[in-house]
Amino acid sequence: MLENVHWIPLLPLIASLVILLGSRDNTDKSRLPLLGVATMGWCLLQSLWIVGQFLLGNVEAPFYRSIEWFRFGGMGTSVGVMIDGTAAFMLVVVTLVSFLVQVYSLGYMHGDPRFKRYFAYLSFFTASMLGLVVTSSLLVLFACWELVGLSSYLLIGFWFEKEAPAYAGKKAFITTKLGDLGFFVGLLLLFAYTGTFDLTLLPAHFHMGLNHIPAWLPTAVGLLLLCGAAGKSAQVPLFIWLPDAMEGPTPVSALIHAATMVAAGVYLVARTYFIYDAAPLAMEAVAWLGLLTALLAATMALVAYDIKRVLAFSTVSQLGFMMLGLGVGGYTSGLFHLTTHGFFKALLFLCAGSVIHSVHTNDMRQMGGLSKKMPETFITMMIGTLAIAGFPFLSGWCSKEAILHDVYRHSPLMWGAALGTAALTSFYMFRLVFLTFLGSSRDDQRWERACESPGVMTIPLWILALLSIVSGLLLEYNEAFAKVVRYGTETARAGMEGTHAGAQAPAAWLAWAAFGVFAAGLAGAWRLYGTGDMRLAEALKRAFRPIFDALEERYGFDRFFLALVRASDALARALHWFDDHIIDAVFVDGWGLATRSLAELQRFFDDFFVDGAVDAVGAITHDAGGVLSRLMRGQLQEYLLFAALAISLFATFIMAR
Amino acid sequence: MRLFAFYSLSAVVLLSALGVVLLKNTLRSALLLGLCLAGVAGIYGSLGADYLFASQILVYVSGIAVLVLFVVLLAGRASELRLRQVNDQWLAALFICAVTFWGMRRYVIEAGAALPAGSPQPATAPIGRLMLGDYALPFEVVSLILIAAVVGAVVFSKSRRGKA
Amino acid sequence: MSLAHYLTLSAALFLIGLFGALTRRNIIGILMGIELMFNAANINLAAFNRYLHPKGVIGDALVIFVIGVAAAEIVVGLALVLAIYHARDTVYAEDINLLKG
Repeated sequence: MLENVHWIPLLPLIASLVILLGSRDNTDKSRLPLLGVATMGWCLLQSLWIVGQFLLGNVEAPFYRSIEWFRFGGMGTSVGVMIDGTAAFMLVVVTLVSFLVQVYSLGYMHGDPRFKRYFAYLSFFTASMLGLVVTSSLLVLFACWELVGLSSYLLIGFWFEKEAPAYAGKKAFITTKLGDLGFFVGLLLLFAYTGTFDLTLLPAHFHMGLNHIPAWLPTAVGLLLLCGAAGKSAQVPLFIWLPDAMEGPTPVSALIHAATMVAAGVYLVARTYFIYDAAPLAMEAVAWLGLLTALLAATMALVAYDIKRVLAFSTVSQLGFMMLGLGVGGYTSGLFHLTTHGFFKALLFLCAGSVIHSVHTNDMRQMGGLSKKMPETFITMMIGTLAIAGFPFLSGWCSKEAILHDVYRHSPLMWGAALGTAALTSFYMFRLVFLTFLGSSRDDQRWERACESPGVMTIPLWILALLSIVSGLLLEYNEAFAKVVRYGTETARAGMEGTHAGAQAPAAWLAWAAFGVFAAGLAGAWRLYGTGDMRLAEALKRAFRPIFDALEERYGFDRFFLALVRASDALARALHWFDDHIIDAVFVDGWGLATRSLAELQRFFDDFFVDGAVDAVGAITHDAGGVLSRLMRGQLQEYLLFAALAISLFATFIMAR
Repeated sequence: MRLFAFYSLSAVVLLSALGVVLLKNTLRSALLLGLCLAGVAGIYGSLGADYLFASQILVYVSGIAVLVLFVVLLAGRASELRLRQVNDQWLAALFICAVTFWGMRRYVIEAGAALPAGSPQPATAPIGRLMLGDYALPFEVVSLILIAAVVGAVVFSKSRRGKA
Repeated sequence: MSLAHYLTLSAALFLIGLFGALTRRNIIGILMGIELMFNAANINLAAFNRYLHPKGVIGDALVIFVIGVAAAEIVVGLALVLAIYHARDTVYAEDINLLKG
């Protein structure tokens, strides 16, 4: 049923419209959200079937269908679908997480006054994301990109009555818009020099041997598209919106800001990998950007006490890892991590949501000892944490190993930094779990009221937990993933074959190093937070106060961007003043004044000279008439006299000649 | 002999004409007009135009002059007989007369050389033949004019207050 | 006695008549001046007939016509004078100035 793949994005779109418009009842008594869930279930089954086809090897080449959209003169563009292995797996990730999140939301959002609208937004978002995944045209991808951003804005600011979510929604939209600017310019350059947006036609332009595109084009386009990816995938410096986006409902955070929308940037780089392949400089930039992001975000996660914030920074950091993977040539490993991360990060967020739903607070300082009260959540969260931290053979370990392997091959220096990041990851994730679930409670009232979440919320947790455990090994089995998701040229090699039997010695050593940092992080977190005794943690905090403050301030990135906004605001005001007082005054008002003066002058001229002349003629005639009429006194003799005078004169002159 | 007749007739004509235009007394003016017209008839006679002589007497003297006399009598007052009759623009009129005279001078002198040829013939029969022959149309037209004049005079003479 | 005598005579009569027509206050006086002018013209015609075309009588015929027209004209004029006298009780030209502009 690859022929019907275009329905996968279209059905959720229709569902969202039906949900939105189908009934006026916004509360949770409405049955329409179930339509959204059912639709997503169908899409999930379709996606699984498609992936199955790819895994079984029934699909040789990427599936491609397109129709012409519009044409201007000699230029035109088409819209269609292009499904290769990457797209197929992405479809599964998106539909699976979306489905589970929707089911989870049935419980989480219970009682919310805008329950129905939430599901409409979720379906709409998923439709946009799926459109982004399947499309073959970069232009349509950009359109879906923007739609996804819009959905994100709507969902982050879902509780817009409160100031923080509304602000966070704006911030997200505007920050990503900054990146989208670069994306758009990149698209324009691409079209200008190649004349097409189609992903099946573009690679031919970029392979060596065809030299009708300038040498700088791949680098330029690659860097510009990276801007867009950096915005959506929250890389430095455009990550500032993601921590604040946690103001939205937790299922939204799980879906959008863990598994799908933020992965769009990584997906974009993967889809346009042929550009980066032709521009080593851009590829290197991707790698360094990813590394920097991963490291900085991990440090910021160390000091966050809001449970969702920690997860947000963790997401930023893991996205950095994915970018790093793609940047060093690890196409397969980067996307592998994207897939597994989708599972365990969604799991972590949903668990956090479960906790929040139970104790009604995000602040970990008010939690503690919840393992007894919420056992299912505790176990599943632990599984997710083990996965992300890199416990051997769990999914996270498999994908992270793949990336680290590729990074080492590219540059040992980068590998060292990445390893450090992995250590930090382990540390702060265990810190999160220990603070939340272990030790004694720090807020007894909340602890008393806490209870396990209902089945509709815990079942998705278990499903995701299962996936977090097995997906890694499952996909590595027989190199299934690598066969399906790969970039087919010599320069980028799948990084997975080196991690197992038959690999060189460094591979084994790398694996032990990774395990070492995992253990170190675990130990550190246990030492500081495991027993619930915070004295050592407090002491460290006092000792490293300046560092601590810098981390809390998120390195001042927020302040930098706010200053930027204020500066542009001031510039806009200055320009407005200039426009009002100088351009308008001189050119517009001045012109008006000049015209009026000229008109006044002409009016004066007209009144005085022209009308004066006219009036003078009339006056002369009138006065002359007055004078002459006095000649006519009605005296017969006078008339006779004049007549006789005239006649005699004429006659005389005639006769006298 | 003929010259004497001419000069005396001329004197009558001119002097009576002067009287017509200069006298204060309108009645006397009218009478002198009759005399003048009679004198003109004599001039016609000196020219040998016998028919004209007769018709001038018949029409002008006994018709028109009498008519003028009637009107003067009907339309005047005794008190007016001593009023000045020449109005203010006599100087301008004199000037005009001078100009006209100066214009006519040349023709008078030029044409004046001609002398009479032959003796005058009785004109009545030829005039009659002319009237009913070549000049029949003007003749009829003049009769028309006369009728129109009579009708007009009758119409004018009717006063609003009743029959005149 | 040449034509010149007669022409001079008629010229003088004409000028006298002109003067009278222009200067008399009484309307009847004006009409009388006009009569004098008519007669002067008639004398001219008769003289020309005698001196220049002695065999023909065309000049005389013309004089007849002039006399007829003059008669008609003076009849009408005098009728008018009488009408004016009945209406305005005056026969002086300066009193009749309705055409005054």
